[in-house]
Amino acid sequence: MHVKKSDFKRQAILDAAYRLFRAQGFEKTSVAEITAEVGGSKATIYSHFPSKEALFVECMLAAAENYTAGTLKHLDTSRADPELALRNFGTSFLSFICSPEQLEVRRLMIAEAARSGTGKLFFDKISALRADVSAFLSARMASGTLRADDSNLAADHLGALLEAEILEPLLLQVREVSPEAEEIALAVKRAVAAFLRAYAPAGRQRRPLRRRRRHGAPKNDWRVPPPGEKESHSA
Amino acid sequence: MKTKTEGKRLAILKAAADVFREVGFERASMSEIRARIGGSKATLYNYFPSKEKLFFEVMYHAKELELASITHTLNPDADDLKEELLHFGQRLLAVLYSPEAIAIRRLAIAESRHSNIGKIVFEGATLPIEKQVAEFLRKGMKGGALRTADPKTAAMQLLSLLESELLQRVLLGVVSSVKPEALNSAARRAVETFLSGYGRR
Repeated sequence: MHVKKSDFKRQAILDAAYRLFRAQGFEKTSVAEITAEVGGSKATIYSHFPSKEALFVECMLAAAENYTAGTLKHLDTSRADPELALRNFGTSFLSFICSPEQLEVRRLMIAEAARSGTGKLFFDKISALRADVSAFLSARMASGTLRADDSNLAADHLGALLEAEILEPLLLQVREVSPEAEEIALAVKRAVAAFLRAYAPAGRQRRPLRRRRRHGAPKNDWRVPPPGEKESHSA
Repeated sequence: MKTKTEGKRLAILKAAADVFREVGFERASMSEIRARIGGSKATLYNYFPSKEKLFFEVMYHAKELELASITHTLNPDADDLKEELLHFGQRLLAVLYSPEAIAIRRLAIAESRHSNIGKIVFEGATLPIEKQVAEFLRKGMKGGALRTADPKTAAMQLLSLLESELLQRVLLGVVSSVKPEALNSAARRAVETFLSGYGRR
């Protein structure tokens, strides 16, 4: 693939800015300093990014954008089973946001947002990323595997359920070590189970994935349990 | 170096509280606080190493007490579990989304690497609330109003749902305050989702 020379420059600027912002914060980092690292003039930087604020937001969210582009396939709406699709998504999402680097980005973003006026820029970008989750849920609602509701709200609720058990102690550094895959998998399983129960179509009860698969997975995503059948608890 | 006195400390806290209330956290300055109490800047910094620490000291304990008073109102014997959770959720959000509590929260996250503020907030506010809510839910499960599950997980999920529409927006300063009606309806949607997930059908 042909990569333009200016794309290399842009990436070099993003890398240098990311390193400097993380090391010294937004205020203490100057565009001149970034220029000194990557060469060229301030004008070069401003030809790629309209302002220091925009550059800050861009380099902080670059990893998140790359991640989202790579994760979308987990949200493939053609997948037969929403539970599986959501679990795959949840696992990858939680592993990403709980990585030491992303936790630091989040802390810095929150610390600087109010001070530097970059909060709105951050929020708009993050909302655009969330729109992909929302679109996935919306398609499920349209096909009747989830009950019809505001898909943006459902995306907020799904995100909150996924983060519920793990994020806050990490963000507050009460807990130093990011969770292992096994812990993430369990938290995701409980979050997705609660989400699917909450957003199940009216009158339908979801049967847990585990049992259904053991008996040879039927094609239907959802089924009506026979009267009197006890719901099994996975949590 | 002079020894620190409790009287002086309280005088600083009082002056700081006034300044924070008058101009807000962002615009408040250590020199303004110093001007109100007299003495040198060095003395002030001897008591409180930063504006952040001082702010935390001034605001946190009041908020902690407010939060405690809310969790203790959760009544497991109430007739209507949904109403009880709703009422709790709405009162909780009203406290958490006051400008002071938001500033504390932001500070706790931002400063967690350099100070123990994060730990203080987590152990003083997050954990006790979580525990109270889990206890309430455990009784609800035992009484049959909720399906049986791990009450601690359920509590964390409920608390996270309650903030799902607001947290990011407010921490990033996209909105500086949230109207009570907006808090109440977000709480309602969260409680409804929670009960669809945990209610008996």
